[in-house]
Amino acid sequence: MSQPVTQHDVDQVAAALPGWLPSQRWFGGKDREVTTVRPLAWTVVEDGDPTLVHLVVEVGQDDRTEPYQLLLGRRSDGLPDVPAAAAIGVEDGPVWYEASGDADLTGVLLDHVAAGDVVGDLRFEPEPGAELVTGLRAHPITSEQSNTSLVYGGQYILKLFRRLTPGTNKDLVLHRALREVGSAHVAEPLGAISGVLGDDEVTFAMLQRFLPDAADGWVMATTSVRDYMADDAGLPPGDLGGDFSGEAYRLGRAVADVHADLARALGTETAASDDLARTVGAMERRLDRVAAVVPALREHADGIRAAFQSVADVELRQPLQPVHGDLHLGQVLRTVAGWLVLDFEGEPAASLAERSALRSPLRDVAGMLRSFDYAAHQLLVGQPHDADRRERADAWAVHNRTAFCDGYAKAAGHDPRDEAVLLRGFELDKAVYEVGYEHANRPDWTDVPLGSIARILTEEA
Amino acid sequence: MADAPPEATAPDAALDGLEQTPHTGEDVAADGTLSEPSADDFGHAEQAPSDPEWFKRAVFYEVLVRAFNDSNGDGTGDLRGLADKLDYIQWLGVDCLWLPPFYASPLRDGGYDISDFRAVLPEFGTVEDFVHLLEEAHRRGIRVITDLVLNHTSDAHPWFQASRQDPEGPYGDFYVWSDTGTEYSDARIIFVDTETSNWTYDPVRGQFFWHRFFSHQPDLNFENPAVREAMLDVLRFWLDLGIDGFRLDAVPYLFEEEGTSSENLPRTHEYLKEVRATIDREFPGRVLLAEANQWPSDVVEYFGDPEVGGDECHMAFHFPLMPRIFMAVRRESRFPVSEILAQTPPIPAGTQWGIFLRNHDELTLEMVTDDERDYMYREYARDPRMKANIGIRRRLAPLLENDRNQLELFTALLLSLPGSPVLYYGDEIGMGDNIWLGDRDAVRTPMQWSPDRNAGFSRSDPGRVYLPPIMDPTYGYEAVNVEAQMGNSASLLSWTRRMIEVRKQHLAFAEGDFVDLGGSNPSVLAYQRVWTRPDGERDVVLCVNNLSRFPQPVELELGEHEGCTPVELTGSVRFPRVGELPYLLTLPGHGFYWFQLVELGDEGERRSML
Repeated sequence: MSQPVTQHDVDQVAAALPGWLPSQRWFGGKDREVTTVRPLAWTVVEDGDPTLVHLVVEVGQDDRTEPYQLLLGRRSDGLPDVPAAAAIGVEDGPVWYEASGDADLTGVLLDHVAAGDVVGDLRFEPEPGAELVTGLRAHPITSEQSNTSLVYGGQYILKLFRRLTPGTNKDLVLHRALREVGSAHVAEPLGAISGVLGDDEVTFAMLQRFLPDAADGWVMATTSVRDYMADDAGLPPGDLGGDFSGEAYRLGRAVADVHADLARALGTETAASDDLARTVGAMERRLDRVAAVVPALREHADGIRAAFQSVADVELRQPLQPVHGDLHLGQVLRTVAGWLVLDFEGEPAASLAERSALRSPLRDVAGMLRSFDYAAHQLLVGQPHDADRRERADAWAVHNRTAFCDGYAKAAGHDPRDEAVLLRGFELDKAVYEVGYEHANRPDWTDVPLGSIARILTEEA
Repeated sequence: MADAPPEATAPDAALDGLEQTPHTGEDVAADGTLSEPSADDFGHAEQAPSDPEWFKRAVFYEVLVRAFNDSNGDGTGDLRGLADKLDYIQWLGVDCLWLPPFYASPLRDGGYDISDFRAVLPEFGTVEDFVHLLEEAHRRGIRVITDLVLNHTSDAHPWFQASRQDPEGPYGDFYVWSDTGTEYSDARIIFVDTETSNWTYDPVRGQFFWHRFFSHQPDLNFENPAVREAMLDVLRFWLDLGIDGFRLDAVPYLFEEEGTSSENLPRTHEYLKEVRATIDREFPGRVLLAEANQWPSDVVEYFGDPEVGGDECHMAFHFPLMPRIFMAVRRESRFPVSEILAQTPPIPAGTQWGIFLRNHDELTLEMVTDDERDYMYREYARDPRMKANIGIRRRLAPLLENDRNQLELFTALLLSLPGSPVLYYGDEIGMGDNIWLGDRDAVRTPMQWSPDRNAGFSRSDPGRVYLPPIMDPTYGYEAVNVEAQMGNSASLLSWTRRMIEVRKQHLAFAEGDFVDLGGSNPSVLAYQRVWTRPDGERDVVLCVNNLSRFPQPVELELGEHEGCTPVELTGSVRFPRVGELPYLLTLPGHGFYWFQLVELGDEGERRSML
């Protein structure tokens, strides 16, 4: 029967992780080899058969070390019905596996949150006033990139932050702030799992209301693109049944409302004189980095640099404030009650300091505009060049970007397009980031941001 | 009291063609009271089998008497002609006919301008013919309801003639009269195209009369107890003859009150409760269906008190759902439908929605936002002639470009969304419209029975037919008719009949709770209808609809039915068992599935009964 979990077991697992981590989708360090994995803390959450262990490890990749969390399962009868990639082969002893897919084990996490339990170093807490149904079984959702989310009985979603950042997680902080001011555009936060990491507080997980009726913005937008690109008559995007501009307009309003609510809840700050210079400097450094590895970007480098330079001279009309930081169509959900915004963690690759810094809300607008470009062009990826189809895709993007900005302007009271130089700079910066990302991960897609850069540079700012 | 009025101004003088027929105002008593036909003057139809909640499960079929079948060869459909086609209606699976008004009328508002509540429009036949229709329908288990306008009459009604000529007489206060015509100025004008005021001056009486609709339709004065009782007597007249219920037209407007919109007033609801109580007491099992083209949250008021299961109308039309079905399919997005159903409040236990895709009016777009209306015009009414008032005058098949897949999808939605479905005559065979005809006549052309002369509708000279039958190559009666489709098991008609049959085998469609399943694919509208049978067993029907013209996958969250087997309802094919993970289905473009979720034993035997 079940054996107590020992430090030896944990060490054995840690020893197996360097070979295992890179095959996990959520692992953010796939660019380098994993050299060391050191257990930092472990807690037996469920003792018995099966067993559930919460493990925090420090992953070393050359000079970079980052903390990650894992849920480990162990059963006397081997692997449960979870994906094979979940198994962590240890040299001797029982088989351990990544337990987020094991509904027999994950249910207890919700029950602990509901009860406000403390288990070892783990603190499970419901949000004030949250009444939770317990005893639900969970299954992980498959679409996620950098975290793991479990859906409980179609009612709640528990997001496990895989790579840990010291302090209360920004996602949780912003969700709480938005709830406090009564935002209609976030899924209600219901609880959290937290603990300590070295000397710091750390958020391990956030529990939220799950919206089973929702569809994400990327799917909604590409549904419209599908309809539009299949039209033989060549009608403009606004004349077709699948027109998305109404949704894009409402989405623009929702994003503007979220910005206003964040400013109201957490305050704003006037940009200091050197903020712009520093921003432009960071954008230029990114350009240099990406251009060094992607030759196709070099022909646009001068144009981009000129656009960045003109950013240095603008006068900021809006103050800095907390923003989403990684806003795109995949981060918004259409529900029967309207649009919701998800995942306020910020750009996964950015440093903690960058993510928690106050920023211009135009960053989010630029991110969404880039996403419309992506949605419009995704059907062309991997296809032979076709100027007509490309022009049609551009027309869809323009139509819906316009509607989004119209909606944003309506709700915000100021039009992001009035700050054209800054918006253009942010869009180019985002596109440069995308070129780098696609080049490394999805080379077929590199043409999408490159095409956008070419288009933006031919347009007058 | 004045002498009896001279012949030329007899109260029934404005009634046309009723000289030989019993009618209101044939005789005038010394005190000015008009004689009215009594139900005892006619035969009575046997009642349909007793079933107080029949309307919750019924499939309704709206048929225009004028358009269905002409028995006497005068070019106009009539009640006898309709009765002759009841076998067809029974074969199709219809439970209840809804007839728009067939009362005596000058026909200045499609018969909604009633000039005698107790007489039939002569070209349609007589009260005896209606009793014959009822008798024949009930014999086949089919019920019949008709429209009744409580709010107003035609100005040709003998009551109005008496009222304007004799302000002191028994009908002097039957209408809303005013010396100034300035009262109730907060009430909107409904027919803005033709009317400039809700008051019109009557030179005969020298006063203004109140009308919410056309100026030839004076509003009855419901403040007057005699009016309230007279209208109850009108209901009793038809109920005595055996009719199964009424669609109450224009119910929000019965009472007026200064400083209000004069719509949906508490006293209007009080009167409806009185009407309902009268029916429950004297004619149990007959129904009231409210026509109130308003948002569902307002319409539910017309069901009455939920504590007692509803004590006003048994049914009400769900107007906003219909345009959203069209919008959802064009956008390939379930949200227009999901949203309006999420905004629809629960209704009392003893009530039911009526839902429809098309009816004799234009496709009404009052219950959509301005943006949505523009969208609907753009999508479904490319030609300006397709528009009428605030709506689109087209039939279902031409709206859907005669696409069989879409016709099936729309019909499947109509038969499975919450509410009793109302089919519009001719849509079951995919009839077309004629947008060159005026007003709403585009969708009121003769029923297409066969490829014979006049579409088999009438033996008359083609020039005499009230409207020409559709003759274009796609929708014309030579291509689209009942005779051809009855003989073809793959026809739209045969398909529709089969789906109605399947619907009737599962009360979950009629009475089940509606549960939207959402899902990550916005082009798929999936929902459950969950009905708990009297024995406590649950009947769960799962409906999955692909609103896109492209094939779609969908993953459904069916966790609570883990272990159940979805059995497809038209062919009884068993699909893979529901497991713990989301249930994956693929659908062809505009495809749909209806499943029953069944617990099967190890040997595949059904554990729960159908």
